[in-house]
Amino acid sequence: MTTSSGVKAEPPSGSRLGAFLRSQMRNIAPFATLIVLLVFFGMASPSFATLDNAANILTQISVAGVIAVGLTFVILCAEIDLSVAAIANATGIVVAYFTLQESYVNIANVPLPAVAAIVLALLSCAFLGLVNAVGLTVIGIPSFIMTLAMMQIGAGICALLVRGQIAYAVPNFVATMGAGSIGGIPWIIIVLAVFLIVGHVVLTYTRFGRYVYMVGGNREAAEYSGVNVKLVLSAVMVISAVCSGVAGMLGVAHFGSAQQNEFDGYLLDAIAAVVVGGTSLFGGRGGIGNTIIGLLILGVLNNGLDHVEIDSFLKILIRGLILLGALIINVYVQAVRENERTG
Amino acid sequence: MPVESVAVSEQAPARLVMQGISKSFGGVVALRDVDFTLRPGEIHGLVGENGAGKSTLMKIIAGVHTQYQGRMTIEGQDVHFRSARDALGAGIGMVHQELSIIPDLTVAENVYLGQQPTKRGMIDWRTMFSGAREHLASLGIDVDPRARMGSLAIGLQQLIELARVLFSGARIVILDEPTSALSPPEVHRLFEVLRAVRASGRSIVFISHFLDDILAISDTVTIFRNGRRIVTEAAAGIDKGWVIERMIGRGHEDLEGSYTRAVALDSKPAAPVVLALRNLGVERAFADVSLDVRAGEVLGVYGFMGCGQIELARAMFGKVRPTAGHLEMEGKVLRLRNTADARRAGVAFVPESRRAMLFYGEPVYKNMSISILGRISRVWLKPAVERNVARRHAESLSIRPPRVETLLQSLSGGNQQKVALAKWLTWPPKVLVLSEPTRGMDVGAKEDVVRIVRGLREKGLGIVVMSTEPETVLSLADRIVVMKKGMIVCEFAGETVSKDRLLEAA
Repeated sequence: MTTSSGVKAEPPSGSRLGAFLRSQMRNIAPFATLIVLLVFFGMASPSFATLDNAANILTQISVAGVIAVGLTFVILCAEIDLSVAAIANATGIVVAYFTLQESYVNIANVPLPAVAAIVLALLSCAFLGLVNAVGLTVIGIPSFIMTLAMMQIGAGICALLVRGQIAYAVPNFVATMGAGSIGGIPWIIIVLAVFLIVGHVVLTYTRFGRYVYMVGGNREAAEYSGVNVKLVLSAVMVISAVCSGVAGMLGVAHFGSAQQNEFDGYLLDAIAAVVVGGTSLFGGRGGIGNTIIGLLILGVLNNGLDHVEIDSFLKILIRGLILLGALIINVYVQAVRENERTG
Repeated sequence: MPVESVAVSEQAPARLVMQGISKSFGGVVALRDVDFTLRPGEIHGLVGENGAGKSTLMKIIAGVHTQYQGRMTIEGQDVHFRSARDALGAGIGMVHQELSIIPDLTVAENVYLGQQPTKRGMIDWRTMFSGAREHLASLGIDVDPRARMGSLAIGLQQLIELARVLFSGARIVILDEPTSALSPPEVHRLFEVLRAVRASGRSIVFISHFLDDILAISDTVTIFRNGRRIVTEAAAGIDKGWVIERMIGRGHEDLEGSYTRAVALDSKPAAPVVLALRNLGVERAFADVSLDVRAGEVLGVYGFMGCGQIELARAMFGKVRPTAGHLEMEGKVLRLRNTADARRAGVAFVPESRRAMLFYGEPVYKNMSISILGRISRVWLKPAVERNVARRHAESLSIRPPRVETLLQSLSGGNQQKVALAKWLTWPPKVLVLSEPTRGMDVGAKEDVVRIVRGLREKGLGIVVMSTEPETVLSLADRIVVMKKGMIVCEFAGETVSKDRLLEAA
């Protein structure tokens, strides 16, 4: 116990600024991290701060970015989707499965018109999302476990369809979106931009978006306000799965092949982008703006580490540490909020 | 402001002295230059309207608020707590309104929580059970220490939490609204225990809105208003009217009268039935409940804690699925799969806990608009409309501060309650179910609620008020049913009824 008599309160202006900074910590910390990384790599490597490299970074984050848009909805509802990478992989393989492959590709594929292949691929990812939704809201399996199972199911679908082989051909439209460019700008960046914008508009300006924030902020209160909480949760699981599916098709086109375990790294990347950006794991706080910053942090980090002389094995560790730092800030900011509420 | 002198307990030296305590939250002053003295062997009642500052003062004592101005001494020693743990170490314990017991552990484990006796590294169950039995018996609590905490009545759980706080060495115990969930015999038993605690020389601070309880058990009463201590007086020489007058600063004999006097029920047996409950039941909660909710009539449902009314309210709002019977809305069978169905059908519900109804981190206007968003917009939000609607409610319900962009968490409890009610006022529903609408409210805010409910009744809503406080039902209802152990045991309509008749029926 410390003893003292008469503690002077801080001058109001200082404490108000302090309170503002604390309340904006969720947004400030990721932004500051991004600036620091940009300045650091810019000084460390002359090849980093170029226009070409900027386009590189954006291209590199596109697939994870499209997944992260859907995942932002899920995490805002205080749920999680661990099946995003598996669904992306499965959807990419489905679209290839329904496309005519070269004769040397030894899979029992069913060639269909391009439109049909794309529609079937979208339907399959939406269906997988629906299964997640039913498990979560009707049966009542926690999303963490439900989507863990779906991760395995997605991997199983991939395995069954390609049987250890690699498919290469995808519908032309998908190939253009994933690997083509227009006026020097890769289509994949444009697709990412569209998804980010639509995601932001839906979350910020629509009734559904408001429900997402309210369900994440206080699920019980949302229910007692007559919000159909289960419907909102179901919707975000399907949105997440469809975003993953689109990312999967883009990725298959971008990499030029469809095979098993192709997207494994994207689960961590997408979750990291959302959380590093400052969206609360406890729901109700954050948004697409945060996810954009998170994506850029990851993109700059991955890309920048290639531009400086660094042990490639150390890169993995550095990414882990950055993620840990973001989690600490995420949980710390939540604790500050709880304090202010009870205070 | 003149402060009347303290005439009592001058004999014993003070245990806790607070001088010139001031505290503000971001510009809002919660306490202004408050003095407070607590003596050994004293039960000190604290009263005041919501937001008067009593909770803030207690949180300073308990080490929850660490930033404040003024001086605090315990047994003559200057102290400034940095955390709740500090305060605990200095012998200050708090029993909150929401108990912090662990229902799945035994009574003994709860009493010994965090300090279980061990023998060779293993928990010494024998010592723990006998020790807990002894400690509880010393307070006059007779309960099996092996019983699972969750299986006990709420009143008993509270006594055991109190016992735990004392067992951990507290010399000053702060009780926040200890009687709000208790039946009269339970209150009686709590008082017995408190007298035993007082006899052992420990000091008790008793915060409550139940003035009868405060006056019955306290030695000294301190009254707060607007962050100031108005007066400290020996409880023996004052009565309820005297306290209320100083609490709210104006004469309130009329309202007080309506609580104690018999009330003539203005039932409307001819009014059309909006919502009918037919042999409704939820397993392990209530059974065979048939009720008619009539347009323009307030139906009061009274019963002690645990009589099934909480579940009944939830079944009417689609939160809990009935296991028997059904609902009828205007003659047609109504099946509610979820709360959204209930909202669409025109049923609204305000639960007893504000926490379950409000979004603390969101601005006031979003809290109010959430249940009417579907009416304001189909797809695209219209924040300007939302704000206008909210401003109208803030004005008509005199919510302070009136800025609808304010975050909900910075409002006082009574104002938060008004926001919870405001959610349903824009497009009035057909049926409004209110669970404990005035719990923990000060007299002024209760009056506001009565006024709002009467206004809605005039508009032809069917209103159901569920409460464990007879005063709440009496002050609001036109017809009263009494629930007991999951059954409706009697109904009062078109007659005169009083608190003692209700208590007798329950």
